[in-house]
Amino acid sequence: MSPLEILNATIAGQPTPRIPIFCNLLDQGARELGLPLKMYYSKGEYVAAGQLKLQKKYGYDNVWSLFYVGKEAELLGCNEILYADNGSPNVADFVIKNYDDIAKLEIPDDITAHPAWQETANCLKILREEVGNTHPICAYLTASTTMPALLMGMDKWMELLMGKDTDVRDELLRKCSLFFEKEVAAYRAAGANVLVYSTPFGSTSFVGMKRFQEFSLPWMQRDLAAGGVNNIVYYCGMAPFNNVITQIQETLCIGSYYISPMSDLAEAKAIIGKTALTCGVIEDIKLIHWSPTQTREEVKRLCEIGKVGGHFLFGTGVMPLQIPEENIVAMLDAAFEYGRF
Amino acid sequence: MIEDIIKAYNEAVYETDKDTAFEVVNGALAQGMSAEDIIFQVVIPAVEEMMSLIVKDPDANLAQHFMTAQIAAEVTEKMLLLFKFPPEIIGRVVIGTAAGDLHSLGKRIVMGCLKALMVEVIDLGVNVTAEKFVDAAVAHDAQVIGISAMMVHTAMGEHGCAEVRKLLKERGLEDKIKVIVGGAPYRYDAELYKNVGADTWANDGVSAGKVIVDLIKEVKSHVTA
Repeated sequence: MSPLEILNATIAGQPTPRIPIFCNLLDQGARELGLPLKMYYSKGEYVAAGQLKLQKKYGYDNVWSLFYVGKEAELLGCNEILYADNGSPNVADFVIKNYDDIAKLEIPDDITAHPAWQETANCLKILREEVGNTHPICAYLTASTTMPALLMGMDKWMELLMGKDTDVRDELLRKCSLFFEKEVAAYRAAGANVLVYSTPFGSTSFVGMKRFQEFSLPWMQRDLAAGGVNNIVYYCGMAPFNNVITQIQETLCIGSYYISPMSDLAEAKAIIGKTALTCGVIEDIKLIHWSPTQTREEVKRLCEIGKVGGHFLFGTGVMPLQIPEENIVAMLDAAFEYGRF
Repeated sequence: MIEDIIKAYNEAVYETDKDTAFEVVNGALAQGMSAEDIIFQVVIPAVEEMMSLIVKDPDANLAQHFMTAQIAAEVTEKMLLLFKFPPEIIGRVVIGTAAGDLHSLGKRIVMGCLKALMVEVIDLGVNVTAEKFVDAAVAHDAQVIGISAMMVHTAMGEHGCAEVRKLLKERGLEDKIKVIVGGAPYRYDAELYKNVGADTWANDGVSAGKVIVDLIKEVKSHVTA
């Protein structure tokens, strides 16, 4: 079976030789091609080449169309990104500097016509042609409730969110939700088939239960209403969300959950059962200093908890560049070994 | 009366309800409570209460951290205008995000809490070089440098805390200035602060207030001795 077939069969609850194994290597692509990060991220063809090379080198299942998270802000007018030699780029210019900018914020009618989309489109075209029939192609989409953090900074967003200007807040959220709607449609049309819905405010680690129910949940419903939840993966940026899985399932009917490494995986699997895909995620920052033996032990633990009864995928966070190669190899070797049925 | 005020204020802070917190404070002023008593008997104990609640409560969330700091800072700012004499400052901190890091939320939470705890804060902003941290700490006679880093490469990078430590050592300032770090990478790896040369770390912005106050006391006791 191809990795794509394994993923689809796992989601459908059909027999597979092993669990799907996802590994999220992004910045490492530049190292593979011998390019500085800024140059690497300047062209879709570089990112696609980096992704294909990494996938081939390590043998895991997925490839990414994601450049860096701030790329979405570029589609909405951000024109300054801070690059580093040894880590992910940051948004350096906030599109919204004051509340008046919210009224001026325009969501492009067709985001695929925006120059900032072109390199993503080029990347997706290459990935689709090379591995589209055999491997899952991932895309990263920021929820309406989180997108403002990329547009105005997290502290300004928290200030608006927790303050009294609810009309201003809702105007921004409506625009961000519309953007999400257009973006998810664009990614689907371009061939992405694993759509990681990044929604940290969908965790009660960000807002309390009352605000989750009265604020986050309705906005997530709105985000997903037009395009549906096919291929959507619920992801809270590594924040725990076991306590709201049932509510999300009942309200949003999402089919895959990327469980926080800080959460009890057994509890998550028990809640989700065979109704959806449980993704067991390794705490990858620890891979920076763990030994290969420690890494293997942790992968073994996750697989033993998760693979019973199927409907389980092994995954990582966004692997930092500082993780030694021997630990990437140890992690994936163990995932293939302990993920076998 | 004071017990009722403390209880009502604490509940408002826990519920992230700034309006109610201010209503409680204004009510206390109307009943004749002094601005000094509001700070020292209501606001500071409330910050300390939140520190202990956040540690114990697995459901404590970012919004509570943020609003605890916001409410504390705003109430303190308002009350300070009503103080009969300027309050005694415990000490000084220079704070900023590490070189290459533009995430300012954690720093803002820490600053809000410190303001209420009567610590003077010099905000160096974001993407701060190691040299600027050390120079500012010396210029302001600060006891503590606080470095916030939300990404692995800014937490671990050679131009962040590691370089601050190197400069403090070179300039013979290690007994006079202590370094605290905070941010997501430290939460995932509780030993990381040692590897980058910090004296300590804090798990969240609200708890950082207490850790910094303790560091200031440590430096001051060392200098006095």
